[in-house]
Formats: sequence, C-alpha cells, structure tokens
Amino acid sequence: MRINNHPILDQKKEEEEEITFTFEGKELKGFKGETVAAALIANGVRVFRRSTKDNRPRGLFCAIGNCSSCLMKVDGESNVRTCMKRLEEGMEVQRQEGEGEI
Amino acid sequence: MRNSTEAVVIGGGSIGCSVAYNLARMGVEDVVLVEKSFLASGATGRCAAGVRQQWGTRENCLVAKRSIELLEDLPDELDAELDFRQSGYLLVASNEDEKSQLEKNMELQNKLGIPSKELSMTEVGGLVPHLNVEQAKGACFCHEDGHLDPFKTTFGYARAAERLGVEINTNTEVIDINYENGIESVVTDEGTISTELVVNATGPQAKFIGQMLGLEHPVEPERHQILITEPLEHSLDPMIISFQHNSYIQQVPHGGFIMGYGNPNEPHYLNYKHDWQFLESMANKAVQQLPPLEDVRVLRQWAGHYGISPDGQPILGEVPGYKGYYLACGCGKGFMLAPAIGEGVAKLITGEEPSIPIERMNIERFKTGELINEPAVV
Repeated sequence: MRINNHPILDQKKEEEEEITFTFEGKELKGFKGETVAAALIANGVRVFRRSTKDNRPRGLFCAIGNCSSCLMKVDGESNVRTCMKRLEEGMEVQRQEGEGEI
Repeated sequence: MRNSTEAVVIGGGSIGCSVAYNLARMGVEDVVLVEKSFLASGATGRCAAGVRQQWGTRENCLVAKRSIELLEDLPDELDAELDFRQSGYLLVASNEDEKSQLEKNMELQNKLGIPSKELSMTEVGGLVPHLNVEQAKGACFCHEDGHLDPFKTTFGYARAAERLGVEINTNTEVIDINYENGIESVVTDEGTISTELVVNATGPQAKFIGQMLGLEHPVEPERHQILITEPLEHSLDPMIISFQHNSYIQQVPHGGFIMGYGNPNEPHYLNYKHDWQFLESMANKAVQQLPPLEDVRVLRQWAGHYGISPDGQPILGEVPGYKGYYLACGCGKGFMLAPAIGEGVAKLITGEEPSIPIERMNIERFKTGELINEPAVV
C-alpha cells in the first residue's frame, strides 16, 4: 500500500532509490531512506510482532517512536523501533520471539 | 472510619501491612491502619524489590533469615502471588578490603545458618555470563536471597489483614497523637481514633510521627534513585551488589533491569526529585558491570528513600517511657525484612516469644550507646 497521488504532497518518484531487504528471510523491495515500517506496510505486512502476554498480533500503531507496537529484530538487534529505523540495502528484518535479547 | 480501636498502625507500606496482618492473626481483634496516600506509595513501592540475608551483623542476619523462612510459605498463607523468586544475591568485592569484609560477613552468616558462599571468578562467570569480572576481586553468593514484588506483597498482607477484620484507611493522614500517661488517641484528617496502642511503621518518615509525641527518632530519609529498562528475555538471575559502585542491579520477572544507588553524603530530607545526572552515572555503573546492557533502553526513573538509622539496623519495639507507642522501622531494608518485623512486633505486643532478637533493636540503644554497626549497606 502506497499513496501514489497525494492531493498536497509531491511524490518525487525519480529521486527514490529502490533497494532490496529481507523480511523473515523473504526478499522484498522498498525505498532507501523510508522507514522499515513503511516498507513493510507497502509490502502488505501487517503483523510486526505479537504481544508477550496474550500473543495478540501487533502492527504499526503510533508511528512516531513512542509506543512499543512495532518493535522487531533488525540485523540481529532486538527491540528496534521500525517506525523510526531507516531502510537500508540488504537489511534483515525479523519478527522477534518474546521480549528480545541483549 | 472506626473512632475507637485496640491498635492503630500508621503507614501502609510493607511493614505497616505486615504488622496489621500479624496483629490480627495473633488475636488482636480490632486493628485500624492509616495511610496518608495509597498502599505502597512510599519507600516500599519505590524500592528495588530485593530480599537478602547477606548482612554483617547478627541482628540483621537473623531478621533477614526469619523473613526468608516466612516468605517460603507466605504466598499460601496470604493466598496471594508474591513473585518471590530465590535467584540469589551476588555481592561483588573490587578490592582486598571489601573482600575481607565479605569473608568476615560470610563467616557470621554461615554460623547463623545462612548458606552464603564464596565464589571463584570462574563460578561467577558461569552464574552471570554478562558480568565484567575484570573489576572483581572476590564475590559472595547466597542462593536463598532473591526477588520479591513490593506491591504484590504489600497488597497481599493488606487484603489478608482485611479478611481478618483490619480496617485500612488510605488517603488518611495522621496529624497528631494524644498522649497522657499512655496513648489516648490518634488524630487524623478524617477524624480521631481513640486507642491505647500505636505502631509507627512510616519508614523514612518515622521522625515526623515521633515529633507529634515530642520525641526525636534518629531516622533520616536518604534519597536513592532507581531506573528500569525495557523488558528483555530473562538473562540475569541474581541481584548484583557492587560496593565499589555502591549500586544494585537485578532483572525483575517482567524482564526489565532495575538498578539504583543513593548518595549518603546528600542532605537528608524527603526529596522525590530525580535527575539526569543519576541517569548518566547509573548507566555508566551498569555498563561497567554488565557491558551488554549498553544498548538497552531506559523506560523510567524515580526517587525514594531509605530511612537510615545511625547504625543501619532496624528500630523495633516499644519506646521506653511511652507506653503503647511502638516503632516498626526497617531502616533502609524495611521491605525485605517486613515479614519478620511484622511478626516480631506483633509477637512483642501480644506477649508471645519473638522469633527475632527484638530487644537488641530497641531505640534505647542510641541512649546507652550499644549500637550495632552494619557494614554491608548499599
């Protein structure tokens, strides 16, 4: 899901560099510099993690780095706020098990 | 609120609720507890949730040992989950002085039946793989020590006390105590309760209640600051005590790392402010001890108080010359000693034989000079 024609904001397609990253081992495309969460949403990924207590699905919620709804494992690091993390070429994004590890 | 009762307990922290519960359990039928804010709103709810027996004086060791004994059956007795987890306390020495003090304390603990033992650095590495052992010269460990939830414990005692008929009044502040040849009544902002027996279980605020009787209790509030990190998968078992850093760190069952320290040289007053200097220096202390904590985020921080006495021992029992006025102050470790203090003070009041050396902990010792200096406070 992407907004291609926004009534106010310009979308400068030609300036965006398409790159490849992986989600749960699967190769996906996204734009360099957008947030990991945005790239996942664009690829139809809705469940980012599961709640620790009741195992309920959790996805993008606050989108400004305040809540802990979008925490994922990125390049091996646990508890990364994917709504704040910028996408880079070859990034490995995974749903994390439990609370994450140090 | 009742206007007449057998006993009034002032303070709704772990000790107050424990005293009230134990009094009711031992047959004091009419007990009223008054708390100026909410239950566990003071030192109890702000503490680092540890229970340890590794102290340096006979008295502290025996009270702590009795607490652990009681805690083993307490969840059943109170019919409450208390998150009591015996994952141990690791006391780390960074130089020879600290090490010889730890050894001396351990000898005393072992003599009193506390199973603490010295660990080699290899054993320490096995127990806490994250620990930076470079700074460590020695370490003592006791597997019976561990974690206890301050809120669940306080509420567990409070609910069990209520089931036995204790009346608990929160948001009720004691303004004055009337005394004439004995306690006559306790005046609160919600009304007056006539009683002949008062237990002061107000921890770091004990001296303010004492002042109502014209007494000066040598208990001063010492500010400690604590922070907690985001929750992570369980990876640290024991509470890590460092004498070098004057700090305590443990991972609580919810997964967060809780850590803190106090500055004993700060002026003593009730100061609930917490600052960024603490955040910075605590982070440094923590990463020096447990380097993998470097990337862990901090969720929040707060301040609370140890109620410190001149010798680091609890002050328990009736104040000489003030019939019916009892102190139940843990003095910097009240939460972890609450089970034994509650039982001990209640036994003293009801005339049963206390399970702890309670006479030695009377406030009278500050007059006679028979202090019992505790070397293992952090």
